[in-house]
Amino acid sequence: MTMPGSSPGVEAAQSADTALPLGRPGRGAWASRLGEYAGFGPALVLFGLFFLVPLGLIVCYSFWQTIDYNVVHHWTVDNYRYFFSVPTYVRTLWATVWVSVAATALTLVLAFPFAYWLARYVPKRYQKVLLILVILPFWTSYLLRVYSWLTILGPQGAMNRFLHWTGATSKPVSFFLYDRPAVILVLVYLYFPFAALTLYASLERFDWNQFRAAMDLGATPGTAMWRILLPQIRPGITTAVIFVFIPILGEYLTPQLVGGARGVMIGNLIVNFFQGAQYTRGAAAALLIAALIVVLLAVFRRSLEVEDPYGT
Amino acid sequence: MARDLDIVSRRGRLTRGALSVWALLIYVFLFAPIVLLVVFSFNANRYGTFPITGWTTKWYGQVFHDYQIRDALTTTIRIALEVTLVSTVVGTAAAFPLVRSRLPFRSGIRIALVLPIMIPGLLIGVSLLVLFTNVFHQTLSPTTAVIGQSVYTTPFVLLLVAARLQGFDASLERAASDLGANTFKRLRYVVLPLLAPAILAGALFAFTLSLDEFIITLFLIGSHNTLPIYIYTQVKFGITPEVNALAALLLAASLCLMALAFVLPGIVRRALRLVPRRAG
Repeated sequence: MTMPGSSPGVEAAQSADTALPLGRPGRGAWASRLGEYAGFGPALVLFGLFFLVPLGLIVCYSFWQTIDYNVVHHWTVDNYRYFFSVPTYVRTLWATVWVSVAATALTLVLAFPFAYWLARYVPKRYQKVLLILVILPFWTSYLLRVYSWLTILGPQGAMNRFLHWTGATSKPVSFFLYDRPAVILVLVYLYFPFAALTLYASLERFDWNQFRAAMDLGATPGTAMWRILLPQIRPGITTAVIFVFIPILGEYLTPQLVGGARGVMIGNLIVNFFQGAQYTRGAAAALLIAALIVVLLAVFRRSLEVEDPYGT
Repeated sequence: MARDLDIVSRRGRLTRGALSVWALLIYVFLFAPIVLLVVFSFNANRYGTFPITGWTTKWYGQVFHDYQIRDALTTTIRIALEVTLVSTVVGTAAAFPLVRSRLPFRSGIRIALVLPIMIPGLLIGVSLLVLFTNVFHQTLSPTTAVIGQSVYTTPFVLLLVAARLQGFDASLERAASDLGANTFKRLRYVVLPLLAPAILAGALFAFTLSLDEFIITLFLIGSHNTLPIYIYTQVKFGITPEVNALAALLLAASLCLMALAFVLPGIVRRALRLVPRRAG
């Protein structure tokens, strides 16, 4: 539930300058300085040694070589060259981007009317409860949320049974499972709460009087929405895009369980590389995801700066 | 003018009606899979899906008698407790300097601390796998899984505690200091009681996240199983009613824990109002 728009600690940190550190006069400046930062100690070990160092290691690995199952510290771009020389891998990379874009777009298209309804038409006192209801599935097991679709999709799944029962189909259709549409459907399901929450957070702050004023001045609702509402909630939309797109890029489980052979994404390639002990090639593939994330953040940097979800 | 408003309001009513239907469909979309999963777990049908051939609780009985599941449950809880301990301590400790000290590179540090939530778990998993197996030459075990999960859960605790610390009146602490309380006493009688609700909520978050964590654990658990990993290996062979029952239990556990995370801090806060009096 800790979303960019509402992450409390991030906002918390911003006015820290107003809080004077407690230090007894007379104690050495160094000691008090050190005491001030001591709390970071354990976090430094945890995030430094077990988060930043491993990520750096992956970067190195992607430029090293594997010879006879041993990693040799010999700098090369062979791993990347290899990745792009295999048509299946390149196709998977593009498929991943395509699936991520489609799923993100669909999530936002589904979430926007919902957030709009919640922020504009629901009485204030019910908004919080209805919002918690949306987030609730998000707090249950990620694995189970993917798994639950296996009971719905597929030739034996609830959907097929239902269609059969209504007479829409005469025999089971396999369209629903083990293909890309199923992957997109489940991804939308998984990340809908992210989008709904972020969009609601920015719509909630919008002053609807501006909307009414625009219409009084002759704007159609469409124009008012396009020219008054959208520019103001654009940072919220950007945040939603980023926070839906990034985890989808690294998805492994969804394509693995409901995607079948045609729904493979780059996450599955990475896992295959690592399970096959091809660490350097796997690292290169993992770095491709990281590169895509960096590109995405760079593209959206400007609109992020406007809202500044980190409260800097 | 009056006619304009009429059009607007009639159109408004229509929009409102359409959007309400949309929202209803969204709720159905969000809850149908979960509800169906629970329904199937009580279904007598051996295939774990429609048609419903009768109601039974025997799948739950089988869950409790399966030794593999019992093993996985023990491992899961052990890992979750350790993760909770690590992330509560590390997160709480880091919240203090994050909120209070004059930090250089504050925004950089802040982003670095929240990054583990943002980036795909897959990247955390594989990078730690490389670190443990190729650099430290460690055998993968529940302990390596605990470290991996803690990287992911600690930021949540940190954010919750930092938020509480932010809303906390520092003059209270200075008053205690003026009255002669040393650092330990200030922590024991002033700071920790005020932070307790947030720390508790953070601990419950961490526990729940650990219970349900899948992708990082998959890489780091080695030959052991946690419940999500066990379910995953079973699901590869198809849907079974036992897995549905286990899934329903795990769902119920997460939901109860999350409800606790929302309700308990309030109760603790009320209970702790007594503390300063005792301390005095």
